[in-house]
Amino acid sequence: MKGNAIKYDQDNIDTDVILPGTYLKLHDYAELAKHAMEGLDPDFHSKVKDGDFIVAGKNFGCGSSREHAPIALSSSGIKAVLALSFARIFYRNAVDGAFLLPIEIGEDAYKNISNGDQLELSIEKNTIKNLTKNKEYKMKPFSELIGKIIASGGLFKYKP
Amino acid sequence: MSQTLFEKIWDSHVVVERDGGPSILYIDRHLVHEVTSPQAFEGLRLNKRKVRRPDLTIATMDHNVPTSDRSLPIIDQISELQIKTLEKNCKDFGIQLFDIKSPYQGIVHVIGPQLGITLPGTTIVCGDSHTSTHGAFGALAFGIGTSEVEHVLATQTIRMEKPKPFEINVVGKRKNQHAITAKDIILSIIRHIGTNGGTGTVIEYRGEAISDLTMEQRMTICNMSIEAGARAGLVAPDQKTFDYLKGRKFTPKNYDKLVSQWQETLYTDSNALFAKSFTIDVSNIAPQVSWGTNPAMVCDVTESVPFPEEYAKGNEDQRKAAEKALQYMNLKAGTQMTDIEINRVFIGSCTNSRIEDLIEASKVVKGNKVSSKVRAMVVPGSQMVKKQAEEMGLDKIFKNANFEWRESGCSMCLGMNPDILAPGERCASTSNRNFEGRQGTGGRTHLVSPVMAAAAAIKGHFVDVREMDLN
Repeated sequence: MKGNAIKYDQDNIDTDVILPGTYLKLHDYAELAKHAMEGLDPDFHSKVKDGDFIVAGKNFGCGSSREHAPIALSSSGIKAVLALSFARIFYRNAVDGAFLLPIEIGEDAYKNISNGDQLELSIEKNTIKNLTKNKEYKMKPFSELIGKIIASGGLFKYKP
Repeated sequence: MSQTLFEKIWDSHVVVERDGGPSILYIDRHLVHEVTSPQAFEGLRLNKRKVRRPDLTIATMDHNVPTSDRSLPIIDQISELQIKTLEKNCKDFGIQLFDIKSPYQGIVHVIGPQLGITLPGTTIVCGDSHTSTHGAFGALAFGIGTSEVEHVLATQTIRMEKPKPFEINVVGKRKNQHAITAKDIILSIIRHIGTNGGTGTVIEYRGEAISDLTMEQRMTICNMSIEAGARAGLVAPDQKTFDYLKGRKFTPKNYDKLVSQWQETLYTDSNALFAKSFTIDVSNIAPQVSWGTNPAMVCDVTESVPFPEEYAKGNEDQRKAAEKALQYMNLKAGTQMTDIEINRVFIGSCTNSRIEDLIEASKVVKGNKVSSKVRAMVVPGSQMVKKQAEEMGLDKIFKNANFEWRESGCSMCLGMNPDILAPGERCASTSNRNFEGRQGTGGRTHLVSPVMAAAAAIKGHFVDVREMDLN
């Protein structure tokens, strides 16, 4: 899986900035996509490309349980969020609906990856290759449950 | 084997568990509201599934409802559609709904305990992060997303990995029980442990300062567990818990027998081990006010807005975060908190909209007027709270002071309905999140207790409420 990094050099990116509350009335995925990250980066919708990754700091997705948040990111084309850590409800929402991959990375990757870098993810090997900088980083492996939900394509396809 | 309260509740609800693997957990109560449920019901329809236990599922509408005159039609058609959709879903799937006209309508986390739906030792979920509120009754209660809502509707179970138990000891005696509130305690805790201090854990709040609190105050504490990143927060039930729930609408008929069972089981064993521990002494804490854009960016009302370097204590990421927050909040480091002028006040939300919150705030308001520069509103947490307050004459106290007295709902806590801040407006709010844009694009939120919000409404700026007569 290859894509370019959109980097936000900050912790605590909450679901209210990922998708502001006023849009929780919407259910159309394409409409939600138009407002993704609007609270933090009003240019996001115009710059995001299909296959891009978001790179961020600690506690990504904190706050509200709105599944609209990973839906808005995924409908914008985001395939994975690489963060130092995630808030748990966002993390589960991301994989339950097979919207995007929430990938925990280390400080080395977080500090080293720059906005626009081309990255290649390998879930099998738990690695992230930075093709722009010719570096490789480890990602934290998924837990058993999360790994199985992802491999099945979502919570409702997972048959233990 | 010695166990924590959380572990006991967990173990008694496990349907399937493998060593070190994920579990299937039985859910006793599922609370549903209009915003996170439509796609879950749609999923059931697409797969021709039923709601497995409609009798354990209860719905209300709170996030999106207008808090103005309810005899009038809803102006926002998309909001109206979301409300109508919940009505249809509840009718089609046989779920009890407290709709906009019901005397039991209100914020889901306010009505659960009021109706006796929330019970000690149970598992409770809702598609809302503040479900942790119900933990005040010794329940394991947590927020879930829409896919999980669908899973619970279909199976009455949830798949998850077991969180770790985290004890927070709250010791000491508050010097001024009216001015130093449960809100100040939980803001102090989050200020110390941080917004991810509780990640992956279930917090048990313990100690004399927790025992001292009323049930409603314990709800304020547990409510904000999620702001520290915890999955849930809970308090072991005691006589106050049992007294609170007695004789409510849904309280089980065999209540006394249940109470004796709870007394025998629902506590943390004396030598049980917690994965993490934190102790806070509340004997000297001051009223708390948030100055930044997350609930850990908080200081005493007697302090000044911190300098980013001072706040960060050498952490570059924290320094940048504080700088960004001050820029968004349009605050200058070094400004006394009491010099910050506000133009809006919101008393409401699942954190602080219960009858005791309104009683306490009314003591500050009585005989005073809202500053001419401020627009202030009180949004009771439920129709039951509103009625009780009106019977006590609290509505008159607020209205005489020029507060707006509104209908129940989530309102300006999350800016979904027309109750929002205009860009640049600054609000003293009793809600739970001061995130950028949370109460409206460009709006600036300061989290405070109900008495602090009321005092700010009167003065037009933050004041140390300890200086006011609250008796």
